[in-house]
Amino acid sequence: MSQIKPDQILDLKGVPCPLNFVKTKLKLEEMQTGEILEVILDDGDPIKNVSGSIKEEGHQILEAEQIGSHWKLIVKKNQES
Amino acid sequence: MKKSTKITLDLSGLKKGGILKQRQKDYFILRTRIPGGYLKAEKLPKFMQLAKRYGRGYIHLSTRQCIEIPWIHIRNLEKVKQELKKAGILTGACGPRSRNIVACPGSSVCRFGLSDTEKLALKLDKKFFGIDVPKKFKIGLTGCLNSCAKPQENDLGFLTQAQPQVNLDLCTGCTLCAKVCKEICSRGRREPAIIMGENKRPVYKKELCFFEGDCIRVCPVDAWSIKQLGYSVFLGGKVGRFPMFGYRIAEFVGEEEVFKITRKAIEVYNKIANKGERLGEAIERLGIEEVKRQVL
Repeated sequence: MSQIKPDQILDLKGVPCPLNFVKTKLKLEEMQTGEILEVILDDGDPIKNVSGSIKEEGHQILEAEQIGSHWKLIVKKNQES
Repeated sequence: MKKSTKITLDLSGLKKGGILKQRQKDYFILRTRIPGGYLKAEKLPKFMQLAKRYGRGYIHLSTRQCIEIPWIHIRNLEKVKQELKKAGILTGACGPRSRNIVACPGSSVCRFGLSDTEKLALKLDKKFFGIDVPKKFKIGLTGCLNSCAKPQENDLGFLTQAQPQVNLDLCTGCTLCAKVCKEICSRGRREPAIIMGENKRPVYKKELCFFEGDCIRVCPVDAWSIKQLGYSVFLGGKVGRFPMFGYRIAEFVGEEEVFKITRKAIEVYNKIANKGERLGEAIERLGIEEVKRQVL
């Protein structure tokens, strides 16, 4: 269970790949380095693809937790590379 | 009566230069070669120019990642060959020779690629393209178990595999690795190599693993990483009238061994096969254990 309080929450239930990644990327761009973003994703391809893509952007995933048929990702925004 | 100058060409010799006789009289297809399918874009205008001037304004992309220019008239063959040579475009092969090496882009750009198959294809091409063999010899390199370059369909195929390891200090217990492993293994009716153990931490059983690496890809916190990388080797694959998959004869071989095995495979093929026989057919005749013994 995560005790980290996110600075922003992005609900992407029902949003397919790669739109979910694009929205996550844009949201992170709006935020400050070090801030925490909580992303809700569908099970299946979304959770598998988006976490990898976020890491490729240089950000850090602190936690991934399954909640029913969805997943909650806690992402820390790192310095833009 | 006017004496016509007949152009006499040795057709079997022409095949070595990647020139294939077309169905239509006096026309030929020019097959170039592009090892691993990697081509610098600056060469594309030359293909267009040749196709427009000497062909019929179009090209064909072959199933082995080569560009072919059809409709070259016999009187222009030499000219086209010279122009290709000048432009630094390689010619392909047909007939009883080793063919263009097919490869996926691999780790150069592909998110799933575990090794640089693109670079390896170029290196292998320099040593092993165009060697005389009983029928034909096809090599395929693939960077992960998606097997896009179909290693099992080639006479000699190399497939990259990754043995995973987990750092439990980094693990947050999200269970994605076990989930993905179970999903994938169930498609192949296999027991998963990763199951969740105590304290929501994964337990890995190497003997059940087939090294496809999705656990490493999917881990959000990079707790899973690559312990060992190498190539699985497939020998004797073919399609044609009687398709057969290559036999897996080795696992986790390094790059140096790839060169050694390729050299031996071609040598052994030349030694054991009858003229016109594919390597897979020779293997059926002699048995895989014997051929494997000779190659490895």
